[in-house]
Amino acid sequence: MAITPAALEEGVVADATGAEPVAGKSPTQIALRRLRKDKVAMFCAFLVLVMTVLAILAPVITGAMNIYWDVSHPDAPTGSEVLDVYGFPIIGPPFNGFTWEHPLGLAPRTGSDNLAYLLYGLRTSMIVAFSAAVLSTFIGVVIGLVSGFSRGWVDRVLSFITDMFLSFPSLLAMLALAPIIVSHFGGNLDLLGTVQFVTLIVILVIFGWMSLARLIRGQVLSLREREFIQAAEVIGVPTRQILFKELLPNLIAPIVITLSLNLPAFVALEAGLSFLGLGLSDIPSLGKMVSDARTYYSDYPLFLWVPVAAIGVLTLALNLLGDSVRDAFDPRTRR
Amino acid sequence: MRFRKPIVALSAAGLLALAACGGGDGGSSNNGGEKVDRETLGNVGSGQDPEREGPVEIEGAQEGGIATVYTQVGLTTSIDPSDLYYTDTSAIGSGLLFRSLTQYDRDPETGQMVLIPDLATDLGTPNEDFTEWTFEIRDGVRWETGEEVTAEDVAYGIIRSMDNKTFPGGPGLYFSNPYFLGGDKYKGPFTSGTTEQEAVSVDGNKVIIKMSKPFPDFPYYGSFPAMGPIPEGEDDPDEYALRPMSTGPYKIKEYTPAKTLVLERNTEWDPATDPGRTQYPDGYEFKAGVQIDQIDQIMLGDKGEGQTSMTYEDISAQTYRTMQNEAPDRVVTGTSPCTYYYAPDYRKIKDIKIREALMWALPYNDLMVTGGYIPEVNAFPASQLMAPGVAGRVDIDLFGHGEFETDPDKAKQLLEESGNLGYEIKFPWRTDNDINTKSKDVLIKALEAAGFKATPVATTEAKFEGDIIDNPDSEVNVRSGMGWCQDWPSGSTWIPPVFQSVDIKELGQFGTNYAAFNEPEVDQKINEVFELPAEEQADAWGKLEEEIMTKYLPIIPYFHSGVVVAHGSKIQGYEIDNNLGMPAYKDIWISE
Repeated sequence: MAITPAALEEGVVADATGAEPVAGKSPTQIALRRLRKDKVAMFCAFLVLVMTVLAILAPVITGAMNIYWDVSHPDAPTGSEVLDVYGFPIIGPPFNGFTWEHPLGLAPRTGSDNLAYLLYGLRTSMIVAFSAAVLSTFIGVVIGLVSGFSRGWVDRVLSFITDMFLSFPSLLAMLALAPIIVSHFGGNLDLLGTVQFVTLIVILVIFGWMSLARLIRGQVLSLREREFIQAAEVIGVPTRQILFKELLPNLIAPIVITLSLNLPAFVALEAGLSFLGLGLSDIPSLGKMVSDARTYYSDYPLFLWVPVAAIGVLTLALNLLGDSVRDAFDPRTRR
Repeated sequence: MRFRKPIVALSAAGLLALAACGGGDGGSSNNGGEKVDRETLGNVGSGQDPEREGPVEIEGAQEGGIATVYTQVGLTTSIDPSDLYYTDTSAIGSGLLFRSLTQYDRDPETGQMVLIPDLATDLGTPNEDFTEWTFEIRDGVRWETGEEVTAEDVAYGIIRSMDNKTFPGGPGLYFSNPYFLGGDKYKGPFTSGTTEQEAVSVDGNKVIIKMSKPFPDFPYYGSFPAMGPIPEGEDDPDEYALRPMSTGPYKIKEYTPAKTLVLERNTEWDPATDPGRTQYPDGYEFKAGVQIDQIDQIMLGDKGEGQTSMTYEDISAQTYRTMQNEAPDRVVTGTSPCTYYYAPDYRKIKDIKIREALMWALPYNDLMVTGGYIPEVNAFPASQLMAPGVAGRVDIDLFGHGEFETDPDKAKQLLEESGNLGYEIKFPWRTDNDINTKSKDVLIKALEAAGFKATPVATTEAKFEGDIIDNPDSEVNVRSGMGWCQDWPSGSTWIPPVFQSVDIKELGQFGTNYAAFNEPEVDQKINEVFELPAEEQADAWGKLEEEIMTKYLPIIPYFHSGVVVAHGSKIQGYEIDNNLGMPAYKDIWISE
């Protein structure tokens, strides 16, 4: 079993101070213990948890409150029932008082409920961000590991590919790629929604794995020359086992850190891409809500603040949480 | 005339006209918040003034400045005079670029469009039974190159309009070929390869056009750019469409289809020869492909270049609401003799009960609010094709259907009775158009509530027209939000274009009959009306429309449209040409 420098360090410190003897704790356990003591991290984790639960329970909540984001739902109120001739809602904000029927008001022109749309938008954001983060982390780790551990041309080729993707103008590529992929499947309506959704995730993944791959490669390069790896090689441990049993546990820290910092980035990116009108034409998305609400800002500010606040809180919480995770996993920081 | 407007919820293509007889008032455009008189939408442009002479001066108007005109969908259709039949390009062409036999001018007092002479010295002289028209061509009119416009040039332009194979989008197919002598056989200079034909001849400075049947409305047709001069030999259709030669007060400086059209002063234009046009601004810059939201913001902001900007796209409902309060003098409302309708494909939806059910099922009010239309401002209830005010029009009682009435139960009952419950309606959906995406949801809900199965057919803004609207083989069976505007206020510019059968196989498209309506009996009756004496035709069209609508219901009327547009604070004299539902460019000037 590999012993990381971090764990050794902790152990040495504990022994040196003469405190209670340290039971065999893994670096991850230590990090989690440090994380639990971090108030900001706990508060952010709580926020993220609440938003996750809200997103998961979106159908339950909207069902219980009898609100709908999809105006084509048979039970949703029709536009002319809840909107005036100018398209503004006749109940609730912006021109009428608060109502529990629609706590965050109705969207102008369509009469879809803002709260319902927000919940389903959160769902989209989280699914997209989480899938993209996990997938890009997986790809990054695999490429980083392989490239760092294998000397020679494999490393050169993989490094070149990584550099190439890094130097690519990713936003431009996303803007150009999304409609191409969508138009490829545009004919089939059932497929279209799924394709748009998957496309968005794929695009985020394609341009999201490189930094981790580089980081991992660098780590592997230095670890590879360490004694415990050389010892393992000498006694004939299979490569697979070296990669997964010896190297990977030492890479937990950078992986977790990258993952936790990628999440908010992907949330923001998804909103941004939807705002620009990419991909999701028929799925609720916070970015699209912002885009819709823009033109109504002067008359109906709440309509814009709702999605902006949701994106803001979600990315801020995830970011702070990510920072804390990094601190917790980084042996060089002390609190 | 084909309709080209900010097809918000839907999309449209349409036609336009003016009443052949009778005076009548109303239908005027008015500034600010007054309600528009909806009884007379179609009764426009019936006034005539054959004596009018140039030059035209607008009191207090200043010269100079460049007017920027924003549009979302404009400039995608040909601006070749022979191929020009959309309302937006017609207004630009007639108002600024191309002179024709006659023209319209807006009477500032009544707000009506008045037919006045243009290249001809008067409104033409018919023979007794309106089968031969003579126009005397004015002296001193010059091309932008400085060369004299001759009667031969005008004659060639008129002959060229008969080439409906080369100019399938133009008005020739509907007026030149059916009415001109030998128009059924002669196919135009490019298709037939000769200018030898029976209809058009030149005698000195006179152009004489012979008809195959009485055509009392010819002076109105004379106002189309297609009835103007074309320089023979320099008019290769592909090239000329990109740089047509100007005879009007402005000429083309730069033109990129679907993007920009920049006009500059045409110094060869002589105001003394033109009874209608003016040349106050230094130029015009048309910018197409600008989103409605952006246009609204430019108009609301009224900053910098925005002050000399205008738009002919309807402003959105919320912008209208704000501008009503803050800058009512920069909002212009008016009417347009246009009707929007849903076009069920007659070849596919054969049972009238389904079409009637569709009529009851459509969520008119919801679609309007989602589409951003404002009832009684730019959308008026419709139960027929012809706009109110067209001579001879009969108010049709369409199966007892009320104004903007939606009754899903009745629709369901009709479907059940005819054994069509769950009938699948396939309609176009432009996935990259946000508003269309929302309207699609509204439509799905209403159709399903009425017992239909609703299937949107995904397309994109760019492919919409080619793949769906003009494509007879598209899988859709209801074309949503089609539109037609009259060419002049006569039933003859409503009924035949929309209801006369078209040989779809030969043409490869619908022409303007987007419902693919095809009843030999109706075709027969349309021809019978044309044979009637001129004074009886108006009533006959009205009766025929009633018969078609109540017996076949080939289209589902959505609304008669109005116009609500805005301009910057330095644009002066912006009024609506209510014959086109477009700006009356001839009256515009820019203040300092």
